[in-house]
Amino acid sequence: MSALLEVDGLSVGYPGGVRAVDGVSLALPAGGALVLLGESGSGKTTVARTVLGLPGRGAAVTGAVRLAGTDLRALDERALCDVRGRRIGYVPQDPGASLDPLRRIGPQIAEVLRRHGSATGRRAARAAVPGLLATAGVPDPERVARAYPHELSGGLRQRAAIALAICCGPELLIADEPTTALDALVRGRILDLFGALRADCGIALLLVTHDLAVARRIGGTVAVMRAGRVVELGPAERVLHRPDHAFTAALVAAEPGARR
Amino acid sequence: MSTPWLRRNLGLAVPGTLAVLLVLLALAAPLVAPYDPAAGRLADRLLDPGSPGHPLGTDGQGRDLLSRLIWAGRASLTGGLVPVTVATVAGTLLGITAGLGGRLTEQALLRALDVLYAFPGVLLAIAVASLLTPGLGATVLALSVVLTPAVARVAFTEARRIRSSEYLEAARVSGAGRGALVLRQVAPVVAPVVLVYASSLVGLAVVYAAGLSFLGLGVAPPTAEWGAMLDELRPALLTHPWVAVLPALVILAVSVVFNTLGEALRTRVGDGAAHLPRAVPAATRRAAEQVVR
Amino acid sequence: MTGFLLRRLLPAVPTLLGVTAVVFATVALVPGDPVAAFLGPGAPPEARRELAERLGLDQPLPVRYADWLGHALTGDLGTSVSGQRPVVDLLLPALGQTLVLTAAAFLLVLVGGVALGALGALRPRGPGGRISGALSTLAVSAPQYSVALLLIAVFAVGLRWLPAGGTHDVFGSGGPADLARHLVLPAVAAALVPLGLTARVFRAALGTVLAGELADSLRARGLRPAAVLRHCVHNASPALLTIGGLQLAYLLEGVVFVETLFAWPGIGRLLYDALTARDLPLVQGGVLVVAVAFVGVNVLVDAAHAAIDPRVRI
Repeated sequence: MSALLEVDGLSVGYPGGVRAVDGVSLALPAGGALVLLGESGSGKTTVARTVLGLPGRGAAVTGAVRLAGTDLRALDERALCDVRGRRIGYVPQDPGASLDPLRRIGPQIAEVLRRHGSATGRRAARAAVPGLLATAGVPDPERVARAYPHELSGGLRQRAAIALAICCGPELLIADEPTTALDALVRGRILDLFGALRADCGIALLLVTHDLAVARRIGGTVAVMRAGRVVELGPAERVLHRPDHAFTAALVAAEPGARR
Repeated sequence: MSTPWLRRNLGLAVPGTLAVLLVLLALAAPLVAPYDPAAGRLADRLLDPGSPGHPLGTDGQGRDLLSRLIWAGRASLTGGLVPVTVATVAGTLLGITAGLGGRLTEQALLRALDVLYAFPGVLLAIAVASLLTPGLGATVLALSVVLTPAVARVAFTEARRIRSSEYLEAARVSGAGRGALVLRQVAPVVAPVVLVYASSLVGLAVVYAAGLSFLGLGVAPPTAEWGAMLDELRPALLTHPWVAVLPALVILAVSVVFNTLGEALRTRVGDGAAHLPRAVPAATRRAAEQVVR
Repeated sequence: MTGFLLRRLLPAVPTLLGVTAVVFATVALVPGDPVAAFLGPGAPPEARRELAERLGLDQPLPVRYADWLGHALTGDLGTSVSGQRPVVDLLLPALGQTLVLTAAAFLLVLVGGVALGALGALRPRGPGGRISGALSTLAVSAPQYSVALLLIAVFAVGLRWLPAGGTHDVFGSGGPADLARHLVLPAVAAALVPLGLTARVFRAALGTVLAGELADSLRARGLRPAAVLRHCVHNASPALLTIGGLQLAYLLEGVVFVETLFAWPGIGRLLYDALTARDLPLVQGGVLVVAVAFVGVNVLVDAAHAAIDPRVRI
């Protein structure tokens, strides 16, 4: 079978000889879930950003990234722009820093809808916004659409950011530590929302986290990363309970409240 | 001294050397200047640059311009460097007092500084200097008043920052006296930041000092001073433009040297908002600092 | 709306009181005895006392300040010593001329500063960034009087392209084209320092936004580079506005030199003439008007800031 997302022998280097990602290969089926688990600096965020075609200034990338058979690395910047936001949605770590603080939520979503042709005309785009916010689990979407980001709670902001990421009906959602900035109660609900989006809309999820509890809750496949390499790859059940690799075992053992 | 060291520090070394040379040249004026700066021959008046015996020409009274420009460095650099020194000392003291003092002291000092901020710099200098007898003393006093609030603001921010820091708390708990606290704990932290900021004020102060003399509020003729020379040579602008612009060019060059030096020091230390040379209403400045940071 | 304006204006009141107090202090602290200066030495004590009383000089300082402030608020800034005319009558027409010059210079500051700053922010490591940095340092270091003299020497005396001074051609018919010809050189001379500062601040602000999470997430939404840049400029604009308010201070202090050298009949020229004539009431009036204008502009900048940035609205 052919996966929705295929990452093949991906390496990313930065000026100064830093090798952030070193020969990573991953596959994610349509509607599936893949968790990139690792410490900070393990290269997991770089993988996610390179899939988006945004590895950063001066990055040297080798290897292949394919989305439903399309080689993303072969696309020029213009064509990549059409993929981002339409076929791949991105949920950032800190919605407080990634939503435009000077504009209301509604127009920000409407802008992306019109950019990718998911809505024609100002009026149609604006009318679509509350429904999208509701899909992302926002109560009272009309009010939130009129709000500025700083007027919303952290949880609502992250839901607005998720609505932005899914507004054009992407096949893949990339979420980079989407719950790190949130408190524990809200965290669980946001993770459940990702599950609902997978089940109801068939959106595949690539989630980056350092948190074992998050990885456990998402399920699917887990890829454990360390120093730019994938050291262990497999179903969440097995990797998190009966790890093969010594590093994963250490990670699991170090979790607060772990059974020894 | 290896080559890589020099290359890495070129941005600091070039303007630094030039600044030291400028000061040395002014100090050595009696030795290097070819003519008496105050004596001129009327027969030689308003010679263009490049004239035999007078490489930079002469002024309206036949005085050698090269000699006058060298001698003028004494008054002009004094007018720039002394106020910055005064402002650094006074501003640091005020800033630390406000930063470590009680709420009342802090509010009173900050309010007073805000009022001085509210004046555009040259205007405040004019207001102060117009009360005094024109001279170098008036320049120094007026510019000290203008520059002190800016330094005080920087010192205050620094003192504030370490006031709540743990090691100051630890020193207080261990029973150190107030004076000892300031001397041993606060001053070493505040001083480098203030000194770097002050270095960025020198160019501005030289420009202000010359400006006051140009307006007739600073050094008065016949003493040679760049701003005063600018005013003296102004009538020659239409007939001998290249003579008239000489002091203007010198002030521009000196300003570039000191500003480049200040900037290189600041880049080295990595201070964000200090590049606003003279400060401004507090709220505005705070906003700018946030943006730059 | 009224409440909003009041909240913006009230904090400026103590500052304005302080500013007026400083200006008043320069009146009150003038060395020498004004009564003796007026009547001459050897005047009988009764006459001295009577004059002191008439001038209010027998009152304590706070009372004299309140009195002076009351007059200033009603537009009475005293009489010019040299011109023998009310200071206000001299200041108001000059203020109009200064505003024309300042507006032209401000336009240059905004256009040049934004262009230079954007160049530096978009190419932080390349030659563009170096050029932007060097040019801003040069501009910041260029004293208004030096630039003014150099411009006159090159463009008016040397090349004879533009007039060396004045607001209009005395023999010509005038009109906007003539005014523009007279405006170019003084506006450039007044604009360079603030232009360099604006470029630096805008470069820093835009650079921070472009390197930040917002720009990243805009790109991740698939927005085109032009749209990303537009939103980033929007987010850097509060900094531009803040710095724009400061620039007015530099423009207003620069006009003293620029107007003097270009014979532009504005406040700066008036101040210079007043200084040379030791006409203190006129000096103080001029300083007061400019300082109050400066505080006023900063209140406006604050209000405009709130209009752009919802987080500042209270």
